[in-house]
Amino acid sequence: MANFILRKAEPKDVSDILRLIKELAKFEEMEDQVILTEKDLLEDGFGDHPFYHCIVAEVPKQEQSVDGHVIIGFAMYYFTYDPWIGKLLYLEDFYVMKEFRGFGIGSEILKKLSQTAVRTRCSSMHFIVAEWNKSSIEFYKRRGASDLSLEEGWRLFKIDKQNLLKMTDEE
Amino acid sequence: MGFIIRAATLEDCKDISRMILELAEYEKVSDQVKITQRDLEQDGFSKNPFFHGIIAEVPEDLKSKEGHTKVGYALYFYTYSSWKGRAVYMEDLYVMPEFRGKGIGKALMSKVSQLGLAAGCTQLNFTVLDWNKSSLDFYLKQGCWDVTSDLGYHCMRCEGVALEHLAQGDL
Repeated sequence: MANFILRKAEPKDVSDILRLIKELAKFEEMEDQVILTEKDLLEDGFGDHPFYHCIVAEVPKQEQSVDGHVIIGFAMYYFTYDPWIGKLLYLEDFYVMKEFRGFGIGSEILKKLSQTAVRTRCSSMHFIVAEWNKSSIEFYKRRGASDLSLEEGWRLFKIDKQNLLKMTDEE
Repeated sequence: MGFIIRAATLEDCKDISRMILELAEYEKVSDQVKITQRDLEQDGFSKNPFFHGIIAEVPEDLKSKEGHTKVGYALYFYTYSSWKGRAVYMEDLYVMPEFRGKGIGKALMSKVSQLGLAAGCTQLNFTVLDWNKSSLDFYLKQGCWDVTSDLGYHCMRCEGVALEHLAQGDL
């Protein structure tokens, strides 16, 4: 097993967090959709009312990645609310760099998140997965996750800023 | 028709609780509601609220058959997109059947959009059940799009025993 630690992200990590966000987006073929900046991450994650929380996986300097990184995995999450069952932990992003997979780092991150969920009295952990991402779906199903879109028919909808503005104007 | 849209207060939790049950009944899952009025008060109106609410209220002379003046609500909270940053998630949107067709739903949604934009959000997200044709049509008309259909993202959940096992690192 690779030598690594999991810790809470700090302001100095925003550069690595953004790098990993972009790597994950690239894998999902959505790299051009990432408009978030380091400044946004700093303001939104480390101010008085953080919009998200982050844990990072770090390896010692002698085990750094081929391009010299020691932050080699992360998870971004926040708390949401279901008026039927209460607090939930929502997993927004979860990623381990390719060269560090197969060492149990992903499993440890998920374990840490679940412990956080249980400790903060969350009834459930929610996240979304692309239906073509078979290996991830299997990974999650092996751990007892259920597909709400398939099983209960929930579809995720979005309205972007342009249409939000239109809606607020039409009064 | 005269109605006002305003921020929910602690005193509204009784009516919000009532309407949550009505919405759950409409979605045919009322046995899944575990949240009490007390939970709503604690989780929505303490120092660090897990959700925010807005209420649609009619004057006394226009109250419902059973005597209610609070006839609709929306529950929302702030989330984070690792691609675009701050987002607002609309968890519930409901108008009592006898008050539909008067623009109350649209007004509630418009208010959530306004608040979201004011907080620096660039998108509004929510889920809809695939059989809920009238709601699907309403949302598509407001300029929303179906992320599950178009991008293949499925909503996943890990809860109860599965969550506990994950926290313990069991597989």
